[in-house]
Formats: sequence, structure tokens, C-alpha cells
Amino acid sequence: MDLAFTPEELAFRDEIRTWVKDNLPADISHKVHNAMRLTREDMQRWAKILGKKGWLGWGWPTQFGGPGWNAIQKHLFEEECALAGAPRVVPFGPVMVAPVIMAFGNAEQHKRFLPGIASGEVWWSQGYSEPGAGSDLASLKTRAERVGDKYIVNGQKTWTTLGQYGEWIFCLVRTSTEGKPQTGISFLLIDMKSPGITVRPIKLLDGECEVNEVWFDNVEVPAENLVGEENKGWNYAKHLLAHERTNIADVNRAKRELERLKRIAKAEGVYDDLRFRDEIAKLEVDIVALEMLVLRVLSAEKSGKNSLDIAGLLKIKGSEIQQRYSELMMQAAGPFALPYIFEAMDAGWQGNFPGGVVANAPLAANYFNMRKTTIYGGSNEVQRNIVAQTVLG
Amino acid sequence: MDFDFSDDQEQLRDAVRKWVDKGYDFDRRRAIVAAGGFDRAAYGELAELGLTGLYVSEEHGGMGMGPTEAMVTMEELGRGIVLEPLTQTLITSATLQTHAPAALQAAWLPRMAAGEAIVVLAHQERGARYQLSRCAAQGSESNGAWSVSGTKSVVAVGDQADAFVVPATVNGQIALFLVERSASGVSTQGYITQDGSRAAEVMLNQAPAQLITLNGLTALEEAVDIGMACVCAEAVGVMDKTLAITVDYMNTRKQFGVNIASFQALRHRVADMKMQLELGRSMSYYASLKLHAPADERRRAMARAKYQLGVSMRFIGQQAVQLHGGIAVTDEYIVSHYFKKLTQLDMSFGDTLHQLGEVSARMQETAGVFA
Repeated sequence: MDLAFTPEELAFRDEIRTWVKDNLPADISHKVHNAMRLTREDMQRWAKILGKKGWLGWGWPTQFGGPGWNAIQKHLFEEECALAGAPRVVPFGPVMVAPVIMAFGNAEQHKRFLPGIASGEVWWSQGYSEPGAGSDLASLKTRAERVGDKYIVNGQKTWTTLGQYGEWIFCLVRTSTEGKPQTGISFLLIDMKSPGITVRPIKLLDGECEVNEVWFDNVEVPAENLVGEENKGWNYAKHLLAHERTNIADVNRAKRELERLKRIAKAEGVYDDLRFRDEIAKLEVDIVALEMLVLRVLSAEKSGKNSLDIAGLLKIKGSEIQQRYSELMMQAAGPFALPYIFEAMDAGWQGNFPGGVVANAPLAANYFNMRKTTIYGGSNEVQRNIVAQTVLG
Repeated sequence: MDFDFSDDQEQLRDAVRKWVDKGYDFDRRRAIVAAGGFDRAAYGELAELGLTGLYVSEEHGGMGMGPTEAMVTMEELGRGIVLEPLTQTLITSATLQTHAPAALQAAWLPRMAAGEAIVVLAHQERGARYQLSRCAAQGSESNGAWSVSGTKSVVAVGDQADAFVVPATVNGQIALFLVERSASGVSTQGYITQDGSRAAEVMLNQAPAQLITLNGLTALEEAVDIGMACVCAEAVGVMDKTLAITVDYMNTRKQFGVNIASFQALRHRVADMKMQLELGRSMSYYASLKLHAPADERRRAMARAKYQLGVSMRFIGQQAVQLHGGIAVTDEYIVSHYFKKLTQLDMSFGDTLHQLGEVSARMQETAGVFA
């Protein structure tokens, strides 16, 4: 039992810290620290900087060109990036599809897809949810019919995050209707420039178009774009979830946002109001407890022990914390969170924000936006089902 | 960073668990409560396991172990809701060892390690609530001899212990004294507390005392922090067992023709209990691993930990009762005793609201496990 990082781990952290300080563009970290709007160009600029260093796939093993870091090194890297104000890496390429391609794809697919993901050149999207398949993802209906050396894809995906920028999309598609719903699903990589694909952005309650509907109308996909075996896609998707547990808790970002919450509370004059301050104190304890939980999972991973019974808790607690800090930030600003001036969330906006503090402009929008966190990635109610299963059988 | 237990620590856990399972079953506990809430023989069995000397150096006949071993031990005692106050022994032995003059250490530590002498912390006063800096008891010196006057409340096994570690004010500063129960001017009024354990009011009227340290507030804060870490660990054991009992019950109790474990409303409650248990366990680790941190960092960490444990204990205790239904509000069934223990632990060394205030007052710009 030892809470301290080893000298090697601390040296590693310092190396990362120095590199991030030297390479993270100040205009981007300024936006992140103040929750201003990030453009596609912002996100991809940072991705390419990481890619050039070989760190965009920071979780990748060396055999695929990754740094081969262990669980704690990965955590330290994520922490340094988050605290410095780096944008969250859009996970669909390097974090989500790449591990599946590595584990289940063939050598040709490795060669064809991994370099573009590692460099940040190719923007990937995720095609899982459908209008009729949310929490019950296995009921998905988008069909992929094998015709010769092609699949013909028909159907609709939705909630496709940043899909308006997507160049490729990895999809779960139905290739069989026999047996249990889970057994007829395949994992298909689709070029979003293919004829028959239509992307329609969905305007959300905060006014942003963060997600999209994606239609497939007789889209031809070469059979060589199938990952692994036909009808085994559900297993591949589950493999991914099992390897992406601590990241979803996002405790490093929560630590950064707690600092921001304190800054906002001070600026708005509520930090010394004990009734408000105690709410921040509760959140602080929540964040420390979540960080300890994350460190326990990482420690178990490092020593090869099973931590499945607590890993399931991370998403629930992490998402609740994200909602809570965004809520408290909005409450700190009070009536000055209410003016809805869309452009005021852009860096360099020169107008007069009511109350005089432009940092208040995105607070309500962020609060509204964060309601998604307990819904996506398996709703928190589904997560509770999973936790209960491990406890009650 | 490493949260694995060593082989020695696992062996210690096994030894304590074995004693709790075989030597301290619910019937024995019930008999001890009926007889007054404390059993010197049971305490002697803890000594035979070496636990009373856990913090005592080998030089003084103890095991010279650290906070992780104390945590492992307290978790296991918590699982059996053991009444005998090992927390007190851990507090007072560490306090004497760190702050007392050599002669006082030599006089008490070997006997404490052997289980022959029980020394408890007598710090609570009616007017102080959980504020350690408020102390009405007075210490005074006359011809090189110290005496203490004042009243200390809800002192664990106060009418059974052999001596007390007592904070008292000297020239406006808190000093720490050792007062023997058999000394002149000491009287006690013993009673049972809500969890079935024993406590007493301790009245000191110019009772002869030996000075431990004049730097008493620092020593008292350390003492209470050791107590908080113990309580956090004990709470984890109590909660772990409470959840296990509840889960067993839900998988056997039938209503509407099926096990009640099949109802989703109840399953989600169990998931929330598991969440509170693991947040609590995480913060108990955190508390024990921060016990040797610099004072500011240590005090902040303890407040955070005890706050989390307070929230967790209340939730798990109340929900365990609710999920059981009527059986859980009977004295006969075991879960009511776990619930009462959880309730009492929250009010030991500062309750949830007090700790929230401490966290709130101690907040800095940055926060996290390492800040």
C-alpha cells in the first residue's frame, strides 16, 4: 500500500508536463480553460501535434507504433493534458476503433487504417445508436447484406457525435436476424464519402450541433472493410468497453473544472457564502473519492488483478460529477448565466456581455449540454443494472 | 502508487477475521452487551493476537506496525461489530509513544501492548462539540506536581479503563495529561451507548496527573486523526458486512412469488449501496495513507475522508433496513445492530456536517488526492 507515485512515475509526469507546456497552443488552452467554443480546426490541430509526437494513440502498444505505456503512465498523460487545458481528444479513432482493429482486424486493415488514426489525419465517427436502439443497443436494425464482394447497407444511425466532420465511420450493423439479437451483429468500417450516405446535424438544447443523424441508402461497402468475423461484432464492441473504463470517469477534467468553479464562485461573490461554498466542498470530496477509485482500478490493472466490480462504478460517479460542476457554475453566475448570446462563446468576441463577465456566457449552455453524460455510453440506469448484477448475481 | 496488500498484511487480516468469525459471534456479542457493553476477556483475546500492541514499538513489547495494518485490523473488527475499543488503544499508544516522556512510555506502553492496561482518550466536553481547541478542563502545577479538573463526556469504557489521556488548558494553551482512574478526585458514571458499547462521564476534581506534553493541541489533533482513520476503516468493515447480509437476504426472501432480489427498484438501490461502499473504502485507504502527511494536508484529508464515510454509512445503514423490511427494525435480527453501529460511528470524532465544514474551510485553489 503506497499512495505516492514512484520516482520513475514522477519523472515520467514531469516529462509529459514539460512537453505539453511547450506544445499545447495557448489559444486552444485559453478556450478550454474558459469553456469557449472549439472548432474542428482546433481539435484537429491538437490531434496532429500529438500525432506527430506519436502520442495521439497514447494507449497503443509499441507493436502498432504506440508508446506502450502502462495504465498509470496513461493516466498521468491524460491528467497532464487535462490540467494544462488540452481539448479532449476526439476518442472515436485512437481510443475506440483502433483497439478493435488491432485486436480483431487483419494485417491489411492494420496497414490501411492505423497510420491515419495515429497521425490525426483521418476523422472517425461512431455509428452505434439508432432511433430504436439506445440502451437496448443489440436491437439495432441497420442492415448490411452481403452481395458478392460488397455489403449493401441500409438504415439509420443517430446521436453520431461530430459526425458532420467524419471521414470514416465504424458501425455496428445487422448481418443476421437469426438467434439472439447480439449474435447477428457485425463491425463494419465505412467511408463516409460513399454514395448513399446522408448526414444531418441535430441542433441540441444548447444551440450547438454536436450530434448527427446518419442515413444509409443502399451504401456499397467493400467486404474487406469487415472487421473480424461476420456476426461477431457485438463481442468486439464489448471488448472495447472492457478496455476503456477509467477514461470515461474523466476525473482529470473534473479536477480542472473544480478549479474553474472556484474561480467563477469567487468572481461572482458566492465563494464566501457558506451555503454555496459547502456545495463546492461536497463536490471536492466527490472528486477526491472518484480519483481514489480510479487509482485503485489503475493499481489493480498494473498488478494484473481483477477490478471489474468497481470499474462499473466509474461511469456513474464521473458523469454525475460532470453534471454537478456544470450546474454549480451556472448557479454561481445566477441571472448572469441567462443571457443567450451565441457568438459570446467564441474566442475574441468583442461585444458587451450583460454583467460584464464574458466567462459567464457558456455556463448555462454547458449545464444543458452535460445532461447527456448520464445518458450516453450506456445510461446510468443500465450501469446500475450491471453493478447490481455483480453484487446480487 | 500501489493499493495491493502485502502477504503479511493479508495474514494479519486472516487472523483477525478468523477470531471474529469463530471467537466473537453474535450470541457472544449480545451477552457482552447485556453484561454492560465491555468484556475484559474479549479485550484480552485482542491482546493475544498482538493487536493492542499494533502501534507499540518492539522495544516496548509491541509489533511496531503502521497505519495500513491498523486499517486492515479495524476493517475486520468492524465486520464483527466488535465492542471492545481497540481504536482507543491505537490512539493512546501512538500518542504516548510520540509525545510522552520516556519514563511515562516505559511505565505504560508494555502493559498496554500486553493488554494489561487500557488507556482511553477522554477529550469530549459538553461545550465543545467536535471542536478540539475548545477545552474547559484546567490543568495546574503545584510543587512540580500536576493535577486536572473538569468533566469529560462519552468516554469509551470510561468506568473500566485504567487511565485516560486528557486534554486540559494550562495558561490558555491545551496540554495533554495522563490521569489514572484510580487516582483521587476521579469519579465516573458508566452507561451503555446506542451501539451497545460502554462509555462513561469522567469527572476530574484536582485529580493527580502526569504531563504528556504542553504542546497538547498538536498532539490531540494527531490523536483524533488516528481515531478518524480507525473509524473510517471500521466503518468499511461494518458497511461491507451490512451489504453482504442484505444481499443474502434479498436472494432468499420471497414476495409476490419471487426473490426480492429480482425487483429492479431494489437492485438499483443495491447498486447505490455498492457505490457508497466503494467510495467509502477508497476514502478509508486515503485516510490511512495520509496519516503521516504534514499536519495541514493530513487534517484536510481526514475531514474529506470522514465526510465521505459519514455519507456512506448513513446511506448504507438506512437502505439496509429499508431493503430488509420489518425484520430489520427488530432487536433480534442482526442488521439493526449494524445500523446502530454505523450511526454511532458517524458521530465519533466529528460527524458529517462538522467534517463538511472542515473541508469547506480548508479548500484551496486546487484539489485532488495529492493536494
